[in-house]
Amino acid sequence: MSKILITFFRIIKNGVINLKRNLWLAGASTLIMTITLVILSVLSLLFVITNYSVKSIQQRVDISAYFKDEISESQILVVRDELLKDTRITAIDYVSSEEAQREFRQRHQDDQLITDSLDELTENPFPATLQIKADNLEDFSAIDQLLKSDQFSDKIKEVNFEDNRVIIDRLNTLLTFIITFGIILITVFCLIAVLVMFNTLALTIYNRREEVEIMRLVGATNWYIRGPFIVEAFLYSIFAAAITGILLTPIYFSMLPKISQYLTPGESIFDGNLMTFGVVIIVQLLIAFTLSTISSLLAMRKYLRI
Amino acid sequence: MIEFKNVTKYYNNHKALNNINLKIDQGEFISLVGMSGAGKSTLMKLIVGEEELDDGSILIDDIDMGKIKKNDLPYLRRKIGVVFQDIKLLPKRTAFENVAFAMEVSGHTKEQINKDVPKILELVGLAHKEQDFPHQMSGGEKQRVAIARSLAHKPVLLLADEPTGNLDEINAKEVIELLLKINKLGTTVLLATHAADIVNKIKKRVITIEGGQITLEQAKGKYKL
Repeated sequence: MSKILITFFRIIKNGVINLKRNLWLAGASTLIMTITLVILSVLSLLFVITNYSVKSIQQRVDISAYFKDEISESQILVVRDELLKDTRITAIDYVSSEEAQREFRQRHQDDQLITDSLDELTENPFPATLQIKADNLEDFSAIDQLLKSDQFSDKIKEVNFEDNRVIIDRLNTLLTFIITFGIILITVFCLIAVLVMFNTLALTIYNRREEVEIMRLVGATNWYIRGPFIVEAFLYSIFAAAITGILLTPIYFSMLPKISQYLTPGESIFDGNLMTFGVVIIVQLLIAFTLSTISSLLAMRKYLRI
Repeated sequence: MIEFKNVTKYYNNHKALNNINLKIDQGEFISLVGMSGAGKSTLMKLIVGEEELDDGSILIDDIDMGKIKKNDLPYLRRKIGVVFQDIKLLPKRTAFENVAFAMEVSGHTKEQINKDVPKILELVGLAHKEQDFPHQMSGGEKQRVAIARSLAHKPVLLLADEPTGNLDEINAKEVIELLLKINKLGTTVLLATHAADIVNKIKKRVITIEGGQITLEQAKGKYKL
């Protein structure tokens, strides 16, 4: 075995010994890191679900502008072109009254009563419509106002938008809440985790001060001395990520799909994909490694004299 | 081998070493004598790079200690063995493990450690105490384990800072005899002490240091203060 490999294994061994000697403190560090990771994961997943839900609803959302009967198709198309100049609007579909009737008939072809009633009518009751889409949910109310303004009110009979506003508002509020509350909570817990781990490592360094001093005098390299403390911090991260993974399993596979169903009924935005779960665990591990690297570097910088 | 040129070291505003000029050749045995606080330990700490010099230069085998990179210090320290008055053994490790510890640090294999450590312990006369813990040994034996540990890297220079300070006369004599034996095998020894009787018996080069300055150099000297 090469010298580098031997040294590498000895560093890991010393890291494990460090952890064993401070079992209670190791437990506290792992616990706080686990809490941080659980909060981080749950909030991130909630954010993703809500974000997807908003996008999915957004795609289905449009504003329908129903035109008065006397307005001709060419006039409607002029209105469409004018509206398309507005940068907030991404697409406009024109549905003529004939098309609207045809679609309606098709949708209700099995309902004899409705088809009979339509046949009774001499005139087409369906108005020509412009279906308007926008990228930003926030823009819909402005577009709604625009359509109701004097510029178009002489041509447009009715604007239909109110139906989806409640759910969009609800999701947007939830999203803003998750982001602001989440950032604050995650920051606080990351800081606590770094501090607790910093203290644990400071105590380990204190306990091993004699060994460190001798190591230095017999010619140990800086990384041979520092390595075990970093290994110790990484071990906390691995344990914390593993515990978080176990705790997260029921939340991920059972609770979150239900929340997703509640937010966007009928759509399976979040179905508890195993691959995504793996990614979540890896991301957690990376975050934990980052936090432990920060705390171990801070502790060594302050307390470890090399 | 080692050359001090106009070396000065301050601790805050206090001059611990003042314009030291000194040359130590390979294979020499030098007694560095002086009262406590005279600057003996500071001089040794400068050699192992534990302290940085403020003025002048120190050359160790053409390595300029003023210019050495921090990352290179461990490799220099493997060429220099250090022994202290307070011994500094790891209490929860046996004599064997304490010596092996120094070898582990530099990446020696287990086989190499198992082969070399008994030999080193035999050299210091402690082959029979291999599995004893420090608390089961006398002061002299503990100091000999410390010397064995300092020899683990087969150093070219051995620095002994008051190694007999906490020992009785018999144990002190044994430790000095061991240092002389190591010197005979080719290692340069720099012994800092304020024990006059020890220095007088050794009859080798003596450097007297007072108030951070070298006040006397004798080729085969005696303790004079």
